[in-house]
Amino acid sequence: MAFTLVVLGSVIGGSQPSGATSSNATLVIGSAVAPPSLDPTSNASAAIDEVFDYNVYQHLVELDPKGAVIPVLATNYKVSSDGLKYTFTIRSGVSFSNGDPMTAADVVYSLNRAVNPKSGYPYQALVANVSSVTSPDASTVVVNLSHPDNQFLYNLAAYSNGMVLDPAAVANIATAPVGTGPYMYKSQISNYDVVLAANPNYWGPKPGMSTVTFRYFSSASTMDSALQSGQIQVIDNLDNSQNVSQFKNSSAFKVIHGPTEGKIDLTLNNTAGPLKKLKVRQAITYATDKKAILKTVGAGYGTVIGSDQVPGDPWYTPRVNKAYSYNPKKAKELLAQAGYKHGFSMTLTLPPYGYATTAGPLIQAELAAVGIKVTIKNIAWALWISKVFTDHNYQLTIIDQVEARDIGEYGNCAYYFNYAGCKQVSKMMNIATAATTTKKEVGEFRAIVRKISADAANNWLYNPDQLTVAKKDIVGLPGSGLTESFNLSYVSVGGSLSKQVAAEGFAS
Amino acid sequence: MNSTLRRAVGAVLPLLRRLMTMVVALWGASVLVFVVLNVLPGSPAQVILGTQATPQSVRQLTAQLGLNKPLLQQYVDWIGGLLRGNLGVSYISHLGIGSQIAQALSVTGPLVLLALVIGLAIGLPLGFAGALRNGRFSGSLIGGLSQIGMAVPSVVAGLLLIIVLTVKLHVFPTSGFPGWSDPLQALRALVLPAFSLGLVEGAILSRYVRASILEQLRSDYLRTARSKGLRVGQALRRHGLRNAAIPLVTVLGLELASLVVGAIVVENVFALPGLGLLLLDSVNNRDLITVQDTAMLVASTVLVLNLLVDLSYRLLDPRLKGTA
Repeated sequence: MAFTLVVLGSVIGGSQPSGATSSNATLVIGSAVAPPSLDPTSNASAAIDEVFDYNVYQHLVELDPKGAVIPVLATNYKVSSDGLKYTFTIRSGVSFSNGDPMTAADVVYSLNRAVNPKSGYPYQALVANVSSVTSPDASTVVVNLSHPDNQFLYNLAAYSNGMVLDPAAVANIATAPVGTGPYMYKSQISNYDVVLAANPNYWGPKPGMSTVTFRYFSSASTMDSALQSGQIQVIDNLDNSQNVSQFKNSSAFKVIHGPTEGKIDLTLNNTAGPLKKLKVRQAITYATDKKAILKTVGAGYGTVIGSDQVPGDPWYTPRVNKAYSYNPKKAKELLAQAGYKHGFSMTLTLPPYGYATTAGPLIQAELAAVGIKVTIKNIAWALWISKVFTDHNYQLTIIDQVEARDIGEYGNCAYYFNYAGCKQVSKMMNIATAATTTKKEVGEFRAIVRKISADAANNWLYNPDQLTVAKKDIVGLPGSGLTESFNLSYVSVGGSLSKQVAAEGFAS
Repeated sequence: MNSTLRRAVGAVLPLLRRLMTMVVALWGASVLVFVVLNVLPGSPAQVILGTQATPQSVRQLTAQLGLNKPLLQQYVDWIGGLLRGNLGVSYISHLGIGSQIAQALSVTGPLVLLALVIGLAIGLPLGFAGALRNGRFSGSLIGGLSQIGMAVPSVVAGLLLIIVLTVKLHVFPTSGFPGWSDPLQALRALVLPAFSLGLVEGAILSRYVRASILEQLRSDYLRTARSKGLRVGQALRRHGLRNAAIPLVTVLGLELASLVVGAIVVENVFALPGLGLLLLDSVNNRDLITVQDTAMLVASTVLVLNLLVDLSYRLLDPRLKGTA
């Protein structure tokens, strides 16, 4: 079956230069975690992508706030029918913020920089199947894959592998980032703030702010006070969803919420003692009241899930979310059948994040009700990475798996779930990602979603919303957390959004 | 040996001895800091690359950062750099650690000094008043208030000040630091944090001042002075203050060190880009060299303060001159 996808070069943006009234405006955004470095190509911290992705660095294709792939530095793209060849037409008239023109050669350089096995890009594995990147003429870039991967475009849009860099500026990438986006890097005080300024060379609609400052707060209540007193105008994502009430009922603020790519899981070490048994894992899932946890921990902002999926996934299967509805009686029966009539003891290791430390005691109580005695252990993030993630030295943990479309990790036998079905999922992943029709792609991925759910490989709790709070007159903030970027391309004070931009999911 | 030479040696020798002790203490601190940080679990490379990185790329980055070298060599590299005045480059932020620490000090330094001034402005008069009015109601009231002040953690004091003075009254900014380009705004941003540190400090100091003055008031020589016809204030000024100052200088030295530690907490509450924030974020990011450098800076500050305290004894107490 011949399968060719052509996306016509929609003129991205198309918004009225919303900054007409506000191009001298400045914006200060409060956020919880400061970027540990300015270089998204050498550090996985989502705090870096939040500031720099899409705002400073752009990709050939990006995700809009609804999670759809849209052309940005490419005007259109074509996928060969065998799914091996991607042909991008490069947008003309684009310059980097330092004035250097962006060329097809720069795109080739940037993609090759990511593909190199020694690149050190945190998501290099996602482009490991790229066999060549070439530029047959000045407006075309061709990427060849060694085997078909229908997630290639999505991954190029979602991860730092796809950023287009200025080869002349790469030497200083960690201290002086240069990109083609609407904003450019101006200054930073480490652990305190990062300041962006409007890029005078931007090819798209004029940015609506003259400067945007990301300011970091390690204390959530200090950040809330800063918004209340007018020192900052936006909180990108409320750390404690419960605090939303003080803003929701105020006429001075608006609350914007939309899904993220996150899956907050009660992660089960599938090889730890009783957790080896399917019935025990199922019992734990039946014993957790996910709706109650979402209500308490996420103030109800989010979606209860029953597998590694979020509503934004093309293969999202809502039915799976009901597979293990709360049923402590059934949990007890399953435990008895598995030989644990009198329960057992487990340790729940918690990273230092609000959702985990709030959900922990709830789950402890729910599991105690079916006879599983849980001891909670709170540890620092670096320790979590080392003990839980690297050494697999844990029984239960709670973590927000934030990476988009990461269901492939269930096919990774070295991953810290120690999931016994990994080999089979790995095979299923190969089939699913090689599918060249959307129908087959969705069908095969659904099979994986169902399999890991049936195996109770983890206890998926919910997909949390991003909860953005802003002064009433701030327009054009992203309406979801489906991108790691906090996309500021259309933000302005009191401006209006074009129909297209609103349709892409930016909030009016 | 003639007597002038002997006197000169007598003055310099103890100083040299003190300096030697300090060098040994600093070396000990450097070993301790290095060992503690390097036995901390948590691979920096894994923290940098996150949860999607392959084990190969983690190994590769570890090697690139030089973290697979023998510990002794890593220690020698680090200390060698410090001795040459090179604090190194953070492998997380790729920024010079020296400039990061200098930036942080430009906030923490003034904050601590301001807090000390506030602490003294509260502690000295309260302590004096408390001692002179000892046994009377007003004296007990002062004692009670300083007890309460000591019991309130500076975090709580800070949060209360934020809520009352910024969110409700808009007198001061809630948090943040605009930089020293506008000194007035910078000072305005430091007032609340300095008060939340200084209030507690003042309460603590007032109790020491009170105790020290009371001790002098009860001493024989002061009684003698009073019997000559001097009033309490006169007797204290002429005979008591110098003696009372000796324990106070010790306390002040110790309290300065504790103010630096307190600043770490207060900077978090007020989102100030100081040493505390730098230290905390560096520990979280496993930015080991930055943590090591910052810890050494704090350690040497404390040691230098102790040295200054010791030296000041000699100035305050002529009896100690020439002794070791």
